[in-house]
Amino acid sequence: KESVMDDLSEENTFSVDEVSQIIKEGVETCIGTSQFQQNKVNQWTSSIIEHCLNQLTKLGKPFKYVANCVIMQKNGAGLHTASSCYWDNQTDGSCTIKWENKTMHVIVTVFGLAI
Amino acid sequence: SFKAGMDNLEATDESSFSVDEVSNIIKESVEDVIGTAHYSHNKVGQWTSSVIEQCVNQLTRLGKPFKYIVTCLVMQKNGAGLNTASSCYWDSQTDGSCIIKWENKSMYVIVSVFGLAV
Repeated sequence: KESVMDDLSEENTFSVDEVSQIIKEGVETCIGTSQFQQNKVNQWTSSIIEHCLNQLTKLGKPFKYVANCVIMQKNGAGLHTASSCYWDNQTDGSCTIKWENKTMHVIVTVFGLAI
Repeated sequence: SFKAGMDNLEATDESSFSVDEVSNIIKESVEDVIGTAHYSHNKVGQWTSSVIEQCVNQLTRLGKPFKYIVTCLVMQKNGAGLNTASSCYWDSQTDGSCIIKWENKSMYVIVSVFGLAV
């Protein structure tokens, strides 16, 4: 399946592609074309994250996960986010997806840390 | 430092996530790097990197058996609505997180640190 990776089988590494799909599906499903609404935003971030964690745990890999979701109204404000990780470069990984529709920006990040 | 009265915690200070310690590390970093600065589009990248770098350095100095994830968000105060949430699939006995919301006159800063026992 995978090309030569010492001691690292597919089952034990973080797959950016797989996780990226999961995140995109989560956002499309929970938000899609909705308009930004203050009173729905909490629900949206929770649903997106719940969707992601459910799908991630279904992958059955030996990982701990941290999922983070930011939703910002399109209002001209500047927003900058950054993250840094102190982990095992061989096995751990992260995936950040930036998504938007007409009224909001959504940034979802998933970090996977091998156990 | 000594933690009084917590049921079922056999972990010593050296191997558990200390919210207080981490909270101080985060606050110091933000104060040092940003403080009273005014929001500036061309400095924001530098600020987030510096805050994060200072946090990771101080965290690793604690010498605990943890992997860390540090995120930093800076948003200009402009009336926009912002919501952030995170969820973790981890070992609730040993792992922990600390999230600090900070602001000055022109911006909001949110720093999160997640510590996962090795």
